[in-house]
Amino acid sequence: MHPSAPIFDSAFLSKLEQLSLLSRKLFRGEHHAERKSRQTGSSLEFADFRNYTSGDDLRAVDWNIYGRLDRLVVKLFEQEQDLQIDFLIDASPSMRWQPPKARGGTLPPSKLDAACRIAASLSYIGLANLDRVNLHWFGDALRADLGLSRGKSQFHKVLDFLRTPPPPEGETRLTASVRTFTQRLKRRGLVFILSDLLDPAGYQEALDLLRHSQFEVQVIHVLDPGELRPDLSGDLRLIEVETQAALEVTAHDTLLRRYEQEVDRFLEEAAQFCLKRGIGYVRALNSVPFEDLVLRVLRDGRMLQ
Amino acid sequence: MTFLAPWAAWFLAGIPLIVLLYLLKLKREPVQVSTLIFWQRILQENRRRALFQRLRNLLSLLLQLLIFLLILGALAKPTLGHWISSGASTVIILDTRARMQALESGNETRFEKARRWVRSTARQATAKTPIALITAGASDAVAVPFSSDEKSMNEALDRLEPGDAEGELKRAVELAHTLLAARRGQHRIVLVTDAPQPALSRAYPDLKVLSVGTPQDNVAITRLATRPLLNSVQTSEVLVEIRNFGRVPVRGTLELSLDGRLLDAKPFELAAGESKLDLFPAVPGNALRNSRGWLKAQLDVTDALALDNAAYALLPQPHPHRVLLVSKGNWFLEKLLAADPRVAFDLLTPEAFELSMASKFDAVILDQTLPETFRLGATGGNFFFLKNTPFNQDQPALDRPLITETQAEHPALRLVNLQNITIVRATPLKLPEATPDGWTFEMPIRALDHPLLVTGARKTPTGDQRLAALAFDPAESDLPLHIAFPLLMANTVHWLAGEQPVIPLAIRAGQTLALGPEQRLWPEALTPPEKPLPPPEGPWVTAFFQPQKQGYYLIAQPGQKSAWLAVNTFSEAESDLRGAAPAEPAAALLPTGFSIKSVTERPLWQALALAALLLSTLEWWLFHRRRTE
Repeated sequence: MHPSAPIFDSAFLSKLEQLSLLSRKLFRGEHHAERKSRQTGSSLEFADFRNYTSGDDLRAVDWNIYGRLDRLVVKLFEQEQDLQIDFLIDASPSMRWQPPKARGGTLPPSKLDAACRIAASLSYIGLANLDRVNLHWFGDALRADLGLSRGKSQFHKVLDFLRTPPPPEGETRLTASVRTFTQRLKRRGLVFILSDLLDPAGYQEALDLLRHSQFEVQVIHVLDPGELRPDLSGDLRLIEVETQAALEVTAHDTLLRRYEQEVDRFLEEAAQFCLKRGIGYVRALNSVPFEDLVLRVLRDGRMLQ
Repeated sequence: MTFLAPWAAWFLAGIPLIVLLYLLKLKREPVQVSTLIFWQRILQENRRRALFQRLRNLLSLLLQLLIFLLILGALAKPTLGHWISSGASTVIILDTRARMQALESGNETRFEKARRWVRSTARQATAKTPIALITAGASDAVAVPFSSDEKSMNEALDRLEPGDAEGELKRAVELAHTLLAARRGQHRIVLVTDAPQPALSRAYPDLKVLSVGTPQDNVAITRLATRPLLNSVQTSEVLVEIRNFGRVPVRGTLELSLDGRLLDAKPFELAAGESKLDLFPAVPGNALRNSRGWLKAQLDVTDALALDNAAYALLPQPHPHRVLLVSKGNWFLEKLLAADPRVAFDLLTPEAFELSMASKFDAVILDQTLPETFRLGATGGNFFFLKNTPFNQDQPALDRPLITETQAEHPALRLVNLQNITIVRATPLKLPEATPDGWTFEMPIRALDHPLLVTGARKTPTGDQRLAALAFDPAESDLPLHIAFPLLMANTVHWLAGEQPVIPLAIRAGQTLALGPEQRLWPEALTPPEKPLPPPEGPWVTAFFQPQKQGYYLIAQPGQKSAWLAVNTFSEAESDLRGAAPAEPAAALLPTGFSIKSVTERPLWQALALAALLLSTLEWWLFHRRRTE
């Protein structure tokens, strides 16, 4: 993301304020907020009744029931608390890769740019809902994080953080990064992983680790059309952007079709893996207009409401 | 299988180049990708097919080599030859004799009509019905071997033209049979000439004769000869024979010109079939300085064959040997040398003679005198010593020696009969013990152990040097009274002077001329008016030459003046055009199966070229389908 590039306009921000991040689980919060919690508290939302015990606040006694049943019953109200939302943003070299520029055509933003914009949007929604938001870079390891932020006033910090990704180093190691993340965080919450999942060791172990650590995981699979349907032909020396490993191929229709089949199988496996484990999964193509991506794709993916 | 263009085999040298290009490493374009995970999964599967990959590479190379070989095969224009087990092989004999130059109606020569027919027939040749072309003239040749290739046939026909020589068609028919003997299937021989050949048709029943001529009237010069007058070798008499081969009387003028200048013109009138001899008694040849001696007889008539209206001859131009006689007076020798037209001699006394003069003469006769400064090997020139010789011994003279041995094969003794020769006395001669400076000596005449005639020769940088030594004075014998004397002396003098190979003044077209070992002939006929002289360097002919055209040919001889050779047709068989017959329908001579040419019977090179094209397309398709690399 370019340091001076404007991410959102005010109209888009106002649209974002109407949204909130969906969490299937209820997590214990630290502060009053606008999100339901398992605790009862002082909100206006009625939750339940229970028998009066000594020490209860007499203001909570339901006098109407006492008049009819001659029993002291206390009204319980839901406790609305905040939610901790963490964004794990893949900053590996593969996220910065862009396909060779087509003749006369324009390139979409890199996958990292797209991931940053999505993270910014979702962070804004979280901040607007008084959730605690934190962002983390990862690549070959878990890198710097933003630190917990709450409230819309902290949004500029989010933007500053996203404008300074760490330098690209090494190949993607998702599992190691997630392991560090789970060890570092004591409070569970909602975790968004924004990555292309191109980890040679696989993404499955990392997602299982998060799930077993009681996090609610949402995967935003950031993809570039250039790697889904590469525009290659002829005798080529393919060089991987992360490891600089090379492979000689002669690109032709048959080989490209087999490549596309392989990529489709990878995407399908990722979707099925997440579905089976109750992990939210959305494919975010960087060629899709950003507003459409946030307002439609993520909503359709049941990540926003 | 026969290849019409075997030079294409040189392109086989290009095969290593193809293999080399194939072995060159492909330069691949580097492209960055986000991950190799998917490519590696695909290629892992491909590696299982490594054997197929190698085969694929090999297939690519083999395909390219096969395409290359097919193109080479097409370029070499192969013909299946005797592999064809069915079909018909046809030999066309095209008459190229002089008579084929006769004009027919439409101002077209008989040869052009014949060639037109052959060209149209060659178009119908197929792989199963190939045609070969033989030319029949002074010598017979296979112009095109069995082939169905129309192009090569047309190219050969374009090059052909009738000669000026007579020829024998029977030899060509026999050559055609020889060609056909090795081939299977039906055999056909078509002779395209100007007249029916009943004798040939009887001898060879399978021969078809196509006559393209019609009877024509013609007048011809059938002989032109020159000879020097006995009383004046500088003047020649010229004999011309003309004959009317027509059916009506002819009138005209016979013109004789020398080196393009008109000498004489005589009117003539000949009845049908009549011939006439004309003599031009005194033609001054060598009187004209720088004369080539080109003598041309020309008939001022218009008839069917212009070729025999002109004849060419050369005036004899004798080149006498220069001989010096050093003598105090020898009546016999002086009279003998004066009588020999091939000798121009000078007389000198021994006192006036110097050895340095010898180089200016072809031979020097020293009559009973020997200069004191004469040394074998040191003195140049050809010498004939009489009595006083370098081989004399200080011994008493031989009294009445008898000639006991002669070498009849020696040039000095050619036609010489020395029987019954009486010699009063002779000087004893002895050859030197050690042969000096490359001399080789012989003793053609001996009296027991004593040589009576010694001859010697040696090679020098300037040519041959020769000498002869006679041991007796002819006046002291009865030799001058015998016929052997002029022969012996003339033979010896001419042998000393060096006999040159005799070049005939004129031969007939088609006749083979054997050239001398150092003679060269310029093979282009020159006719008056003068053409430019041939360049000094060019395709000269050596050894043997068979002229096909009338005219004059230049013969170069090292160290001597160039000579000319006149060539004429002089053939009554070629000039008599009355025997031709109206043309038969050409189509009747076409063998069966000639008329329809199916696609499969096209020339083999076309099939090879098509196969190369198809394979090339297949290779291109496989390459783009990535089946080959």
